[in-house]
Amino acid sequence: MIEALSFGFIQHALIAGILVSFAAGVIGSLIVVNRMVFLAGGMAHASYGGIGMAVYFGFPIFMGASLFAVGAAMLIAFLTMHKRHRMDTFIGLIWAVGMAIGVIFIDLTPGYNVDLMSYLFGSILAVGTEDIYFMAILLAIIVFVITFWYRDILAVSYDSEYAKLRGVNVRFFYTLILILSALTVVVAIKVVGLILVIAMLTIPVYIAEKLSTSLLSMMFISGLIATLFTLTGLWFSYTYNLTSGASIILVSAASLGLFLLLHKNK
Amino acid sequence: MPSPENSPTVIDIENLSFAYDRDIILENINLHVQTLDFLAIIGPNGGGKSTLLKLILGLLKPKQGRITIFGEAPSKNLSLIGYVPQNTNVNTDFPIKVIEVVLMGHVGEKTPLFGYGKEEIACAMGALAQVGMQDFAQNKIGSLSGGQRQRVMIARALCAHPKILILDEPTSSIDIKGQKEVYELLKMLNKNITIIVVSHDISVILEYANKAAHINKRLSYHDISDKRSTFHTHGDEEHFCEIELLQMLGSDSCGSCEHEENTATWREKK
Repeated sequence: MIEALSFGFIQHALIAGILVSFAAGVIGSLIVVNRMVFLAGGMAHASYGGIGMAVYFGFPIFMGASLFAVGAAMLIAFLTMHKRHRMDTFIGLIWAVGMAIGVIFIDLTPGYNVDLMSYLFGSILAVGTEDIYFMAILLAIIVFVITFWYRDILAVSYDSEYAKLRGVNVRFFYTLILILSALTVVVAIKVVGLILVIAMLTIPVYIAEKLSTSLLSMMFISGLIATLFTLTGLWFSYTYNLTSGASIILVSAASLGLFLLLHKNK
Repeated sequence: MPSPENSPTVIDIENLSFAYDRDIILENINLHVQTLDFLAIIGPNGGGKSTLLKLILGLLKPKQGRITIFGEAPSKNLSLIGYVPQNTNVNTDFPIKVIEVVLMGHVGEKTPLFGYGKEEIACAMGALAQVGMQDFAQNKIGSLSGGQRQRVMIARALCAHPKILILDEPTSSIDIKGQKEVYELLKMLNKNITIIVVSHDISVILEYANKAAHINKRLSYHDISDKRSTFHTHGDEEHFCEIELLQMLGSDSCGSCEHEENTATWREKK
């Protein structure tokens, strides 16, 4: 295992794993307390549309997926603000249409076909230097937004009607949370893939929720737990030659089961 | 109850009507709330109680008529109103400390760049002390009982030093002991603050309120401050007989009341 650390791609994988885990911990906490898990799943799948378009038009995949996911997030924000009771329908719609767009654009791309599996289940061992920059910048933005607007985000998440009454711009913060979620989902795709993204955003958070008394501590603990799961999953993946994304998720799920068992007996 | 007829009006509602699309929710409502009133708003589900509160809070705009708070539009005087929303028992898994909930009362006012200011925290602790919950400041909100949680929500509303306190069904999902505590607290706060409570719980509310408004699309209004002595209490139970109460309210000024007719037709159908 130690000699593996000298490989560049392993180093990249570890750095990316830590960056994405922290982003997923922080944003996953917001997604869970705002009951947006299904929504995050929708955005993850919709972003495949962006991947397909990026491949077809030949611009960076991360950029294509990000733009597309942010667009989907803003569309969802707009729709759910006006017809909240139809939210699940819209999410399902965006989920499927986004994926279909991606598949068609990849069909249209001549010659070389991208490996669909690497986006569905992640390809952390193929993380490049630019990817790491992108992840680091995203994490920096998330940390900045959370520290600067913590109380507003807390108020909107806990009791949006009351927040509105106290003059907080609920729509702005709701959209902001969605956009940050979209970007986090996109970087998490690199690590666990778009199908498994939801598990990465929820399992660490679910454990952290039981251990924390405030949203801030929940975010931090989630980040730590997610990092632990990611690194353990990567070790399994490397040692037994397994798919990294699926290994990370199964490590998380097994840990959750163990945690719940111990927590119950306490 | 210190609420003489000539005390200044704090909330003035004139000829107010409101409709969602074509469904008329409120029709021609007139209501004058005076300083240090303890007004109970009662009425059936879907009768428009919550809508009226949202109109007073400026969350909805009237279709006709007007609402003034201290002589101005509701949006200008929002900081003078403390609001305790319905259903404070949802979202109890949320990882948040009691003190953070109370500090939310400050959101939107002048705040430091990061975190919470010392004065804000002192103020929030003061509000918690007012409702007798200061020892729970660092507890998770989900670990409290329903009654305790409701008192925290009242503290949050008090945090902004309101002149009017509005509560929507404050006792709907808490036990009898908790309900009594909440109403005793409101009675104490009523010495300095005008209070408006929406409730289903007629017998308890009339023990504490000095005025009652029955809303079912229209409004009928009753000053009950001097009528309280005419009620009987049954044995040791500390509440009024609801039938007597309804008879009293019905006989008072309900000539134009719609719910009377509805009841009559309902009886005929039976």
